[in-house]
Amino acid sequence: MFVSDEDLMMKCRKGDTGAFELLVRRHQNPLINYIHRFINDYHRAEDLSQETFLRVFKSAGRYKPTASFKSWLYTIATNLCRNEVRNRSRRNTCFFEDLVEEGEDVYHTEIMRDTRYLPDVLLEKKEQRQMIRKALAQLPENQRVALTLVTYQDLRYEEVAEILGCSVGAVKALIHRARQKMKKLLIKAGIGVEKIDE
Amino acid sequence: MNRQNEFPNVHNSECETYLANPDVLSAYIDKELPTWKRHLIGWHLKRCGTCAHHLQRLQHTDNFLRGAGDVEVSDGFLDGVMARVSEAAQHQRQQGSFGSRIHGLIKVSIGWMPSLTTLAGKLRYNIRTRSPVYISILTFAVFTMVGVTLYQPSGDKFGAELRELDNEKLISFEVIQHEPPKRLLTTYLQGK
Repeated sequence: MFVSDEDLMMKCRKGDTGAFELLVRRHQNPLINYIHRFINDYHRAEDLSQETFLRVFKSAGRYKPTASFKSWLYTIATNLCRNEVRNRSRRNTCFFEDLVEEGEDVYHTEIMRDTRYLPDVLLEKKEQRQMIRKALAQLPENQRVALTLVTYQDLRYEEVAEILGCSVGAVKALIHRARQKMKKLLIKAGIGVEKIDE
Repeated sequence: MNRQNEFPNVHNSECETYLANPDVLSAYIDKELPTWKRHLIGWHLKRCGTCAHHLQRLQHTDNFLRGAGDVEVSDGFLDGVMARVSEAAQHQRQQGSFGSRIHGLIKVSIGWMPSLTTLAGKLRYNIRTRSPVYISILTFAVFTMVGVTLYQPSGDKFGAELRELDNEKLISFEVIQHEPPKRLLTTYLQGK
């Protein structure tokens, strides 16, 4: 029987750590990927994901079942990521993966471990990933967050609006602008219209 | 002309009717439009090649982004989270017990409140009526407090003695900790 996130959260409020473990199992993968796309540092992304889950557990008492758990989780994660990026820029430091040369691989991806792929496909995937990473990094923060949440986390516009603290109309505009810009950036990076149109 | 620059996908009057707002196409891709609007746009897209091409390019950009691949969570991640969570839960429980202790204390003091109020009332009455016994007790108490505050023992001999005792204890502790192995070793060597 499938138990919804909200029900699990209500069990957590009563101190059920088993329910919380199930929540972590459900959301750990997408959350780490979201944070990784935001801050571009795998190890720091793991730390921040742990911190996010810990904050969720600590503030379980304040959780209201009327709010979607997913949007609550990603609001906490987004705030943590924003603080991290702000602190980094204040300290004038770069994320580890921003310093890595194009040829090096610092990712622990599922595709890399999958033996079904041939080396040239792997290389192509790697290049694609790097291009997307660079293009995403060039987007303004709000556009990047909105696009990542919709594209990779499959969140509804309403939930994104809740996370960003803006209207659904504003999210619609952000997503569209981000997609247009991504299209231009990818074409500029050598992924031509033909390749995108493939 | 200005409108054309602002909304490049608006290229004829029909497009303007359905796609006046360029965000609509992205919302169409993400299935975020109401059904009636989706049907209208779908109908328009079948008839308008330019809009269909524009949508196709946006759709391909989206597909390309989705094909980026995910990072994998390391094996110890869940254990790490659960360890931190159980630590936090323990801390919360401790805080809870501290809170309940405070609560108990308040409860006890509330229980004592009536008798304390009666005592205070009696004291106030006796002071007001200048009862000699209470006056003398109060004077004694006040003088003792003033005396203790003004004439503190200068040498603090007792404290010094305590500190000395503590040092001795510490020294003896060190001796107990470090000496026996040496002694044992020497006895062992002497025995050999």
